Amino acid sequence: MSADRIIHGVVRGEPITIIVDGEPLACFAGETVAAAMLAAGVDAFRSDRRGKPRGLFCNMGSCYECQVTLVASGRRVRACLTQAVDAMEVVTRG
Amino acid sequence: MADLQHFDVAIIGGGPAGQAAAVALSGHGLSIAVIDEQPRPGGQILRQPPARFAVQAWLEGRSYAPLKQLLARFQALSGITWLGEHSVIGVQQGSVMAMGPEGVTTISARHILIAAGCQDLAVPVSGWTLPGVYAAGGIQAFLKGQQLLVGSRVLLAGTHPLQLLIAAQIVAAGGTVAAVMFAQPRSAMIGALTKHPLAALRRAPDLLATAGALRTLARAGTPVLFGAKIEALTGNDRVSGAITNQGQVACDAVGLCYGFVPQSAVPRMAGAQMKPAGPAGGWACVHDEWMRTSVPGIAAAGEAVGVAGAAAAAAGGSLAGIAIALDLGLIDADAADRAARQPRRALLQHRAFAALLDAAADPTDHFPKPAGDTIICRCEDVDHATLTGQVSAGGSANAIKLATRCGMGACQGRNCEPSLLRMIAETGPGSDPGFTARFPARQVSIADLLPPE
Amino acid sequence: MERADVAIIGGGLVGCAAAWQLARKGASVVLIEAGDINAGASGQNAGSLHFQIERRFLENGDDLAEQGAQIVALSRHAVTDWATIEGDLAADLHVAMDGGLMVAETAEQVALLERKAARESHEGLAVRTLDGEQARTIAPYLSPGILAANFSADEGHADPRAVTPALADAARREGASVRTATRVRTIERDAGRFRVEGEGLALSADQLLVAAGAWSTEICALVNIHMPLYPVALLMNATERTAPMVPHLVQHVGRRLSLKQTHAGNLLIGGGWPSRLAQTPNGGFDLSARAQMIPESLTGNLLAARDVVPGVTQLNLIRSWTGVTAISSDQLPIVGPVPRVPGLWVAAGGSAFTLGLTFARMLADAMTGGDADELALLSPARFEHLNGFMG
Ligand SMILES: Cc1cc2nc3c(=O)[nH]c(=O)nc-3n(C[C@H](O)[C@H](O)[C@H](O)COP(=O)(O)OP(=O)(O)OC[C@H]3O[C@@H](n4cnc5c(N)ncnc54)[C@H](O)[C@@H]3O)c2cc1C
Ligand SMILES: Cc1cc2nc3c(=O)[nH]c(=O)nc-3n(C[C@H](O)[C@H](O)[C@H](O)COP(=O)(O)OP(=O)(O)OC[C@H]3O[C@@H](n4cnc5c(N)ncnc54)[C@H](O)[C@@H]3O)c2cc1C
Ligand code: FES
Repeated sequence: MSADRIIHGVVRGEPITIIVDGEPLACFAGETVAAAMLAAGVDAFRSDRRGKPRGLFCNMGSCYECQVTLVASGRRVRACLTQAVDAMEVVTRG
Repeated sequence: MADLQHFDVAIIGGGPAGQAAAVALSGHGLSIAVIDEQPRPGGQILRQPPARFAVQAWLEGRSYAPLKQLLARFQALSGITWLGEHSVIGVQQGSVMAMGPEGVTTISARHILIAAGCQDLAVPVSGWTLPGVYAAGGIQAFLKGQQLLVGSRVLLAGTHPLQLLIAAQIVAAGGTVAAVMFAQPRSAMIGALTKHPLAALRRAPDLLATAGALRTLARAGTPVLFGAKIEALTGNDRVSGAITNQGQVACDAVGLCYGFVPQSAVPRMAGAQMKPAGPAGGWACVHDEWMRTSVPGIAAAGEAVGVAGAAAAAAGGSLAGIAIALDLGLIDADAADRAARQPRRALLQHRAFAALLDAAADPTDHFPKPAGDTIICRCEDVDHATLTGQVSAGGSANAIKLATRCGMGACQGRNCEPSLLRMIAETGPGSDPGFTARFPARQVSIADLLPPE
Repeated sequence: MERADVAIIGGGLVGCAAAWQLARKGASVVLIEAGDINAGASGQNAGSLHFQIERRFLENGDDLAEQGAQIVALSRHAVTDWATIEGDLAADLHVAMDGGLMVAETAEQVALLERKAARESHEGLAVRTLDGEQARTIAPYLSPGILAANFSADEGHADPRAVTPALADAARREGASVRTATRVRTIERDAGRFRVEGEGLALSADQLLVAAGAWSTEICALVNIHMPLYPVALLMNATERTAPMVPHLVQHVGRRLSLKQTHAGNLLIGGGWPSRLAQTPNGGFDLSARAQMIPESLTGNLLAARDVVPGVTQLNLIRSWTGVTAISSDQLPIVGPVPRVPGLWVAAGGSAFTLGLTFARMLADAMTGGDADELALLSPARFEHLNGFMG
């Protein structure tokens, strides 16, 4: 199941592509990496110690469940606070 | 670590409280930094869509109007350095360390205002770690800020009336809400209203917003249930349903809405004196009549001093701004008193309404019962059974943290602390001060803390 | 009034280990802790098991280095104590003794390493000196800037979160009574016994062991004895968890650095960088208030880490904290009987995570009629001159 973009009355930035775990993922400039992933049906950001998938939780920067690695800089950042940029490559710990 | 920047005033948080403080301080020629980890100002209540988006009819409801006016005034101010996408990681008297896209900056400031707002209370229930289970405020922030519906059938469950508003916003955006489940009986909510009739009257618009939300949900045929308690959330790789005391509910997203707790990492790290924030838990800054905390040069406003809603946050922010102008010698005591009259009155009123909300939303007796293997500390995977053992042995929160790693993980205990403190409180009277807050408030890359090689 | 053979003040590693050892020998023991077990330095430290001579003994001239070398004899006992403790307690303490490296980045530091290794082999501690290449062969995570390293095969680390609580449990199993949330307020000497009192506590004991870490000075003052211990606040840093990368304990001979990876995967970075102790309104240090981080300590510590293990820069710092421990006026721990007050024993100061088990075992022997010869170097008797007008 994926999240749905509200279309009516909304104009987004230009279409861009980010790469998540090696897979291209279409989204729009201005979106957060978290929103882009959810809209593409990617809702597991890591697996926990029991091997179970974990999703993001707070969408406001406090829970750290949405951490991903930016391949270019090696930085681990919160996807809910990181704006998607065309060709940005991210890796989850799924 | 990057350069040192100097400001007269550093405001942490660009929500209503931070905005109002900046507005109150404007016109004195001060250099003011407003630091927020969101790219744009607005705070949680007005989570703005990205500048790249154009959204018609954004937050049109009547209760948002004054907040949008405040935001517009704030955005029109000159002399403000907006440091969006900057997370505050540490505060000491006179200095703020913030992490931005270019690394870490140290900001020195004569006065610091902590207006970092609140976060959803994280409430553990069996299955809550499944993808698709969110803090309700997070679902709403996707709606407001990203124009995204997280699921096609959203279940909202908890005790806080805000979930009615969120449900109505989902429905208005074309989504479907499986149900809005209040764990408390309807009488508990009505009782709270009738006990505080004056406060309720004064804030009629907010109550009308709730009534409006109820009408929207009724038109959509969305069930609003009382005494409806979730027992477990189910699903394999993502949530697909809920088991409740009123039967099973199919859904593909869940928002948990049991209330809000102040973001207290920053003031606690700075050594400010804190007090229990309210029935939902968490810690609020103790402050004087001018919003000053116990640490000289550090003030607090908005939900940092207790969760009382956006209007109270704005009033407190104004008061803090006036007080900083007073402390900087820009206005005299009489002028400060005069200017403070209106925000003081507003603060009193709004707090009375907040007390009503607190009573109506009180989750104390309505939390779901976690199973033994329900994870309480999401970051370190510490389950309820493990903590039960430690709690019954009589340890403090800090001792249990040390023994089990509960609260030692990536989120610094923000999610699990209230749950653990509730468990400790159940064993008897006594007040546990919670986890010792540690630097950094947000994790930060080591490369960013160092000078370039 | 409650009676015991031994009262122990302080529920850190030293107090809990002593309680366990004494109870095993059949003594009736009451351990009194003001807060929670492990609330002091024992729960906040870096968990290094370092047996090489510490940098702090090397940076202040030959005399001190000579004293540092003498501790090596105790370190040899500590190696055995740590190798057997998990079996003795039947507990998983995450003891890892996979070797430790003390590294050098400059020619001067290399010379220091060589002198240090000579001292150590003289004291019977096996340490190999490796050049940079050899060091990187066994430790590929090391920076190309490392010119040489001393390698000690027994060094490593253990989990400070686990060790002291396990010792307290073992002490209880052996019959010791462990009182937490009980602060000792007064100590009276009464007909050769000690009357120890605090909230809900009135105890008369034949012998009294002060194992209160940085607070030991205050406790000794209650018995009218000067104990020259000084509180120091030290910074520690933890990164997020990462895949196994550093199996060893890593230290630096010329800079303040200790670095290791915990069993959970976090890197712990410390090495003795100061934080600022809180002060009381009328001067003096306030150990009950929290110490303040010094930004220069944070950067200094992380810089040293980066220069030795460059991979750390890729990781996020998730937590920095400060622990308070005690250092004596001559840097050596103070462990043994106080000559002026028969029945009074002290064990405080120094790197008592590494050495605490050994101190406790030897003290328990001495307190139950054995001799304390091996602790002679650390005896409080060396400060007898301070107590000429006390007692
Ligand atoms: C997710 C969410 C949704 C909400 N929705 C509603 C609603 O619809 N209606 C309603 O009446 N109330 C809502 N609330 C409550 C609402 O937040 C407050 O009523 C109001 O916004 C508080 O204003 P404030 O200025 O105190 O804080 P906020 O508006 O929360 O502003 C605080 C700001 O500080 C920033 N911040 C926090 N910590 C740091 C840090 N370490 N570094 C940098 N920046 C930081 C945050 O990004 C935020 O922008 C919501 C709360 C949350 C958490
Ligand atoms: C940051 C840091 C890193 C360190 N790293 C290392 C390392 O890597 N390796 C190493 O070997 N050593 C290390 N040390 C030193 C080591 O931690 C200490 O030497 C050791 O833990 C001391 O143990 P203790 O039992 O003597 O004292 P503590 O653990 O400090 O225990 C003393 C106890 O006494 C209690 N107390 C105080 N007053 C009273 C009273 N009036 N009544 C009752 N109880 C009281 C306190 O609450 C406390 O729990 C480090 C220390 C610090 C601070
Ligand atoms: S979802 Fe919680 S930090 Fe991003």
